[in-house]
Amino acid sequence: MAEPLLRVRDLAIEFDTQYGTVRAVDGVSFDIYPEETVGLVGESGCGKTVTGLSLLGLIPKPPGRIAAGSIEFGGRDLATASEEELRTIRGSEISMIFQEPMTALNPVFTIGNQMADVLARHKGLTDSQARTEAIEMLGRVGIPSPARRVDEYPHQLSGGQRQRVMIAMALSCNPKLLIADEPTTALDVTTQAQVLEQINKLQEEFRMAVILITHDLGVVAETCQRALVMYCGKVAEQAPIEELFAQPRHPYTAGLLSSIPRIREDRPEHLPIIAGRVPDLLHLPAGCRFAARCERALDRCQTEQPELGEKTASAACFNPVPV
Amino acid sequence: MELFSYSLRKLATGIPLIIGVTLVSFLLMVYFGPDKTFELVGKNPTQEQIDEIRAQLGYDQPMVVRYLDYLREIVTLDFGNSESTGERINALLARTIPVSIAVALPGFILGNLLGVGLGLLAAFYRGRWPDKMIMGSAAIGMSISFLIVIIAFQIILSSSYGLNLFPVRGWSVDSFGDYVSYVTVPTLATVFVALGYNTRFYRSVIVEETTRDHVRTARAFGVPSLQLYCKLILKNCLIPIITRIMFSIPFVVISGSLLIESYFGIPGIGKVTYDAIITGDQPILKAVVALTAIMLVVVQLLTDIMYRWVDPRVSLK
Repeated sequence: MAEPLLRVRDLAIEFDTQYGTVRAVDGVSFDIYPEETVGLVGESGCGKTVTGLSLLGLIPKPPGRIAAGSIEFGGRDLATASEEELRTIRGSEISMIFQEPMTALNPVFTIGNQMADVLARHKGLTDSQARTEAIEMLGRVGIPSPARRVDEYPHQLSGGQRQRVMIAMALSCNPKLLIADEPTTALDVTTQAQVLEQINKLQEEFRMAVILITHDLGVVAETCQRALVMYCGKVAEQAPIEELFAQPRHPYTAGLLSSIPRIREDRPEHLPIIAGRVPDLLHLPAGCRFAARCERALDRCQTEQPELGEKTASAACFNPVPV
Repeated sequence: MELFSYSLRKLATGIPLIIGVTLVSFLLMVYFGPDKTFELVGKNPTQEQIDEIRAQLGYDQPMVVRYLDYLREIVTLDFGNSESTGERINALLARTIPVSIAVALPGFILGNLLGVGLGLLAAFYRGRWPDKMIMGSAAIGMSISFLIVIIAFQIILSSSYGLNLFPVRGWSVDSFGDYVSYVTVPTLATVFVALGYNTRFYRSVIVEETTRDHVRTARAFGVPSLQLYCKLILKNCLIPIITRIMFSIPFVVISGSLLIESYFGIPGIGKVTYDAIITGDQPILKAVVALTAIMLVVVQLLTDIMYRWVDPRVSLK
């Protein structure tokens, strides 16, 4: 396999809260290869968004900080890079789009103004060049009559169009990696499909890697080649998509998959759920973080933390679901 | 055209406000107000003399007629003569309002500019020592009485006990140099007192804005901090900033600063208003109240237009 584009090792992110220090991300390691799409899946609070933000040094500090680990990208360690260095990477080599297209754009500047600003900064274009480029990008993400739209303000566009503008802005400097943090969660189902399709199409055109952060396994199944399942600040399982959906090894992944509502032939009386609750980050158990909710838990799971293997398909579990 | 019709409608809706304000103040100042008859008639007046004076002052008319008279004065912008000095009120206002503006304006502008600047700095360094220092100083500035600040500044800057650089009192301005020498100490005192409040207000507005999603987006696209704070965040904060600045204008222009004007012996509108309250000079009070109400309506309109100008989401409908 090729050299990884991004190599994250033992990443730990801490937040100071009034009750003590919380480790929102603990020992996360993964590689992202050029031009692939990787899903980062988990429920809210599992650390997936924080992981995404940390790749661009966007963890609000204080109260947060990268406590340990490294983020290698293009020969640099982004975990220890200076703000100055990170600024040249943000929006040019690594771009990020966010969950809320309604509020993610600045309401008092035109979309053309905001896009041209990024282009002028990273590509050194003049105002008129940047404007032409912005119009072209808007066309490429499927905004109708882009030359007119470029002078409109975000509130004049629909949610789906705003997310397209975000995508256009994110791709305008040919990034090598796009981090998409729940890009479709706030959109209608039909718009969701269009936006996802657009991201997939542009990914091929621009030859970039995508990290898709989502809680929606359906979205992952449709768009990703690989996925990392996160639980409570750790990676529970990583596997290629077909394997993950056909044969989930980690009991948490298996539980997630069986709790997706779907059309079944025999309609169950209750939707299967994962019993129990996610442990409080301030009071983590000594052993596996999923042990208290796990049907397959062994004695060992209560005292020892399982490690994720180095293989492309591996689960951090002492007693994985048999194949 | 949209702007013009909006302005007309807005001014029309201001009429009830003006009527409400003037009616309430009319009742308080005139109906329950002082009776000046016996100040003016002299000793041992006859009933005829008393009646004559009362008729001159308009006291013999029913309340409704007197209020309608007041409204007519507002519409024609002719408020008659002062009861204490006999000076035409319009001449009096034309003489004192420019002085008040000249005294208050530098402090008003500086206080707000510095307030926004320090608010930006404090918000940028939120939670770290520059923020703590700025907010600590703001709290100190806010806790010292205006009166003490004025006296202390006069002693330190204007008296022979201190630096003796500026005149203590008065206002005889013939050149720009005179203006600077008379206005410096009042300005310093105003800024000292207003800065704490302004900085606290602007900091909280700016800090609130820094938590918005679009700020995170800007950071994710590599916007440098200076541009982020001074352009992207500041433009989003302009609505509360404009509101605060615009709505203090009527009070700066019309009421002046009573304490500043009386302690520095400056013949401005604040001093005149204060004296009119003490002596019960109704025509002056009526004029000041009416002008303040009119200014408020006009300022409201201007503020709305400025909102439209800084925020495209605002529509003038």
